[in-house]
Amino acid sequence: MDFQLSSDQASIIDAVDRLVQRFKDKPIDAHGFVLTGEALEREIEEGGYWDIARIPELGPVVAAYAVQRLAHSPFTAELALSMLVRPHLPGHPIGEWPRPLAVVENGRPGRFVATAKTLIIIDGDSIGLAQPAADDVEAVESLFAYPMGRLKRELAVQTLSADEARELRKWLRVALAAEACGLIQAAIDSTVEHISVRKQFGRPLAAFQALRHRMAECAVLAGGLRWLALRAAATGSDGDAALAAFQAQEAGTRVGYETHQMLGAMGMTLEHPLHLWTYRLKALLSELGGRGGQAQAVALHCFGKL
Amino acid sequence: MDFDWTPEQLGFRATVRRFLAEHLPPNWETVAHGPASEVQSEFADVFCRKLAEAGLLVPHWPARWGGRDADAWTAFILAEEMWMAGEPRGGQYMNVNWIGPTLMRFGSEDQQQRYIPQMAGGATIWCQGFSEPEAGSDLASLRTRAEKHGADYRINGQKIWTSYAGYADTCFLLARTSPGKNGISIFLVPMDTPGITVREIPSVIGEGDIHEVFFDDVEVPESAMLGIEGQAWEISRASLALERVGIPRFALASSSLARAVAGLQREGRFGAGAVEQAARAHAACEAARLYSYSIIDQRVHQLPTGPEASAARYATVMAERLVAEFVVEHLPQALAGGDPLLQAHHQRAIVAGVASGAAEVQLNIIATDFLKLPREPR
Repeated sequence: MDFQLSSDQASIIDAVDRLVQRFKDKPIDAHGFVLTGEALEREIEEGGYWDIARIPELGPVVAAYAVQRLAHSPFTAELALSMLVRPHLPGHPIGEWPRPLAVVENGRPGRFVATAKTLIIIDGDSIGLAQPAADDVEAVESLFAYPMGRLKRELAVQTLSADEARELRKWLRVALAAEACGLIQAAIDSTVEHISVRKQFGRPLAAFQALRHRMAECAVLAGGLRWLALRAAATGSDGDAALAAFQAQEAGTRVGYETHQMLGAMGMTLEHPLHLWTYRLKALLSELGGRGGQAQAVALHCFGKL
Repeated sequence: MDFDWTPEQLGFRATVRRFLAEHLPPNWETVAHGPASEVQSEFADVFCRKLAEAGLLVPHWPARWGGRDADAWTAFILAEEMWMAGEPRGGQYMNVNWIGPTLMRFGSEDQQQRYIPQMAGGATIWCQGFSEPEAGSDLASLRTRAEKHGADYRINGQKIWTSYAGYADTCFLLARTSPGKNGISIFLVPMDTPGITVREIPSVIGEGDIHEVFFDDVEVPESAMLGIEGQAWEISRASLALERVGIPRFALASSSLARAVAGLQREGRFGAGAVEQAARAHAACEAARLYSYSIIDQRVHQLPTGPEASAARYATVMAERLVAEFVVEHLPQALAGGDPLLQAHHQRAIVAGVASGAAEVQLNIIATDFLKLPREPR
């Protein structure tokens, strides 16, 4: 048990942090629901960060660490699946499925589906992989702060074996938890900044205990999730992944509500960046079966049977 | 970053489990119904002496004081296993976690020689005289006073909600020696000193757990003071930092949850509603576990422990509450004589947010020192 990063690992995370720092501010004139980060994506490509999980000295735990930090940016790109799931995709040769990746879960619109080169298609208990042509998918407008898309027609799917599907679900859960962790932390940081300077009744909002305690509870939830997500990435255990994804959706629900409430009317505007994190979180809350689905997985993998 | 135990750590955990298997009696479930009950206190007295003989009471203490200089992980693995088993050490954990180390750091040579070997041998119980009727979370307003009379201090006042006072040999007592926040001092007071009266307060925690302690003209020599006059605040802060993550309550919560789920599974009642609640409670227990591990890791790497200790403590409070609620909703018969261990957990869980500093105090610390939010006006 050692929770400190090695010097190699710390160097990579420092580099990721420097990268995120350059993409930390929402452009003043960006007022849409979605803010994509093509430039951020290019930098990740050029830095070779997609392959962090495959480097033995770094591994999935550092990839999860990096996803958390990158998700803190107001700019979004398909990061988590490429960094944490793609290395585990079965097929030929392993890991060479083209990115970006996206998930189509039971026919619903999904994040990045309209631009994905590889689709993970979940249909009940079955999981398959497909490579869509440009005309197979289309973008859809949504409230979620990701570019959403859907399949226009059924595709030829490479169906995975039960073991492969189980392995893939596990890494999808790790990716979900790592991304949610970064989004939650960003929402908290943004809210902390607001309530520290916004004054009502002659003092900062943060000087009211009713808000301080709720914010502190959010911070505890976020910190706990962070460790659960990192452990899941490090151990590659089904149970750890299910727990991390459950807690991501649990904490995401609470933090999404609390942060908007504390920002008051400011949180309703598209001028303030909060929605970029919270409305991304909302997209994650239903994925992989939502909390009910993760709970079933926890029951199976942690408690043995139903 | 590594979430696996080393072979040595796994071996130590196995050793502790073997010891527990050999020394917990077959009727342990019925013994473990109240941490300070007469039957458990008598058992703990014998058990702790055996633990000490086996080198498993204070392995993390310096060799000079009966330990073997083991690291903080060793102490925490030991504590996890004890708590998972229902904490058969009873009130001894206070000595092991913080009173002993506090005396090592702040005690005089005489105090160390007098008290620490007894603790290392598992032969003594202490209580902490902190809370008063008018001073719970707000310790600075405590009124028990210690006045200088010649070479002695004369102590008058009242402590309340004092755990283990009925069995304690010595009290780690906070008393006022002058006005103001910096006017509080610590005295190490033998509980058989004339003028001390202990009265048990019936409680939901269980038999024998909390007490009122009255001090009427209790005279102690100057040598009973720990540190110097007015040093209580500094010493208490150091002690409470050890206390906050020294008690792995999540371990008992986690084993209680597993026990409750297994009971439901046997009865074929682990259905949809229970599954989601169990997942919520389990995730909270594991979050609290990892939070606490992160603090232990900081200690092992000799990094300063900051407000994260309060976050770990609060995470544990949330976990305790969720497990207790799970049992109440899905296995209520456990609290009606159906499962003494689950009942004992429930009785302890109610303390989680109160003992060692109220949960709301932890939230204040997190808000101010971790989130750096502006302070409330006073």
